[in-house]
Amino acid sequence: MELIIGWLYPNLMSTYGDRGNVICLQRRCQWREIEVKVVSLDRQTDTTQFARVDLIVGGGAQDRQQEIVMRDLKGAKAEALREKIESGTPGVFTCGSPQLLGHYYEPALGQRIEGLGLLDLVSKHPGIDAPRCIGNVVFEITASPLAEELQAILGTKPVVIGFENHGGRTYLGKVEPLGKVIKGYGNNGEDGTEGAFYRHAIATYSHGPLLPKNPFLADWMITKAWQQKYQTDLILTKLEDSLAIAARQAMLHRLELYNLIATI
Amino acid sequence: MQLVDRIRLGLAVGVAKAITTIVRSLRLGAASVLPGEISRRLHPRLLPSLFEQVDKGVILIVGTNGKTTTSLLLRTILEERGYRVVHNSSGANLINGLITALLTNTNLIGKLTADYAILEVDENVLPLVLKDCQPKYIVGLNLFRDQLDRYGEVDTIAQRWQKAINSLPQDTVILLNTDDPTLSYLGQQLSQKVLFFGLNEPELYLDEIPHAVDSIYCPSCGHLLDYQGVYLSHLGDYHCPSCGFHKSKTGVDSRQWPQILIGVYNKYNTLAAGLLAREIGVDLDHIFLTIKNFKAAFGRAEELTIKGKHVRILLSKNPVGMNETIRTVSDIQKIGKASVTLLVLNDRIPDGTDVSWIWDVDTEKLINSGGILIVSGDRVYDMALRLQYSHAEINGIASNFKLIIKENLQEAITTALQYTPTEETLHILPTYSAMLEVREILVGRKIL
Repeated sequence: MELIIGWLYPNLMSTYGDRGNVICLQRRCQWREIEVKVVSLDRQTDTTQFARVDLIVGGGAQDRQQEIVMRDLKGAKAEALREKIESGTPGVFTCGSPQLLGHYYEPALGQRIEGLGLLDLVSKHPGIDAPRCIGNVVFEITASPLAEELQAILGTKPVVIGFENHGGRTYLGKVEPLGKVIKGYGNNGEDGTEGAFYRHAIATYSHGPLLPKNPFLADWMITKAWQQKYQTDLILTKLEDSLAIAARQAMLHRLELYNLIATI
Repeated sequence: MQLVDRIRLGLAVGVAKAITTIVRSLRLGAASVLPGEISRRLHPRLLPSLFEQVDKGVILIVGTNGKTTTSLLLRTILEERGYRVVHNSSGANLINGLITALLTNTNLIGKLTADYAILEVDENVLPLVLKDCQPKYIVGLNLFRDQLDRYGEVDTIAQRWQKAINSLPQDTVILLNTDDPTLSYLGQQLSQKVLFFGLNEPELYLDEIPHAVDSIYCPSCGHLLDYQGVYLSHLGDYHCPSCGFHKSKTGVDSRQWPQILIGVYNKYNTLAAGLLAREIGVDLDHIFLTIKNFKAAFGRAEELTIKGKHVRILLSKNPVGMNETIRTVSDIQKIGKASVTLLVLNDRIPDGTDVSWIWDVDTEKLINSGGILIVSGDRVYDMALRLQYSHAEINGIASNFKLIIKENLQEAITTALQYTPTEETLHILPTYSAMLEVREILVGRKIL
């Protein structure tokens, strides 16, 4: 029995240490002696490979790279990815990836890049002179049933700590936001929402990378992947996460979010 | 220069000098930016008029990594031949920093006395400088991903460089690293005289292309480039199987050259400075002599002796730079000359406020080399977490390395020195602001 992590276009979409999400999932399996394998899903990859993965990780891309990805991710590959997400394969999509899952992204310069249309959201860059949304970000996960499931495990409300750096602004349609912003900009700096959640797919502007600093999300993904693949529950052994906790506490101290420190 | 201009220049210079004196006497800092800022308000065309006064011409050094070391080597070569050289040696490489550096070498009426000015220029600021200033030489070292929180993307920067350089006079000389596809392509698009440098030493190829790589795609057509081998990051021997784009020839045999300091990256810095000096007219014997006697710029493979312990500081400010410093440390560990490494991660403005880049660094190689790893800095726990995840066994149980966490930098350094045997070298890998702090603790004074 093993889990296969599918990494979307590692050479094209890994701008902000997004590899950390892959490393995190991989290590947390290895540390528990769960067999795990990482496969690249890129231009050389056969469509059938897309159908074999149990977890999906997608990162951020520069505009040109994002265009190359979208040119490749059409037809059968797009269909395979859509199928995976619809059927409940857990995935984490950061930075540019949510834009790719939405209807379209309008860059500051150049033409609109069509997305897969899986999530009911659109992203727009307000112009080359508009300031980027940059900084440490903290948000509470509110999406259902994710929030309830995490709360049951953690015993407290699930709080994500990360770093955002995006020029584009995302506006949600009929899709649930992943969470509500406590500190930072979130999707667009206007409506207080951050990210989106659909089936078992987590879309967020928060990198840092996301999973190592928020290991409960990684464990949730591993559990879901196992259930999905083997139709049985996987009881995860607890791991030594004191370094992640210390890193989280240090950031909450710096941001003066003292009331949250107790919940970590 | 017209009289009005002359008076205005004199005024701007006078004010700048007064500010420098005040800032320094009140110990407010090294005054490497503020005088430039204020005098520019008094004289908007200050930078171009300073450029024009440099006797033999201004040399701009641009690139993500290696600016300071390359500039320092070039400056040393030129000074040893008797030239008077101005250099923004504090590393302040935005417009105001350039002005400040040039102003410090003017007299009270704004007369600059220098044969050459060597200016390290921030990659994003280059087009702005070229808008109204005319350098004689431009050296392009490399373009890596660095501080994306401040800037855009490698492609965009290269396009803006091309546009800006194309509008310069035809007698401008451009020296570019042909092992970098983006820069080789840029050189092929320019109408001026372009010289290329690069390596021809396949035995230095890396075993695999590191993850922290930006442009393995053809800058001309976007197809995946075919690499025969890479020297570091995306620098290597390549061609495009689709459109036929290939790297320009160098006309120099890198095997014939000695190198400064250690590491493959310093081979590039050596070639860049050396070839430009040769283009200027310095003979090779003198260039080689300076290379052999060269001492490092602060924090760039700089070596110090502290309380009888040997210390080497290797600035590590982005994934490419840090992969290279790790490679250097591992090589030294292999021959038994090092076993203790101190990593210091800060997230201040000069470092870039986003530390996620450490996950693009192959820290696994450091873990595999074993020994004692000490971590410190503003983001000490983020660095510790990266190291934890570099090992297939949680907490590195049954492994040959030991991780020590010290929030306090002073304590971290003391601990690192204590663990270092006298016959070995302690390696310190800091980000930029961390490097300044480390140096201040080690040598007891501020440098900037």
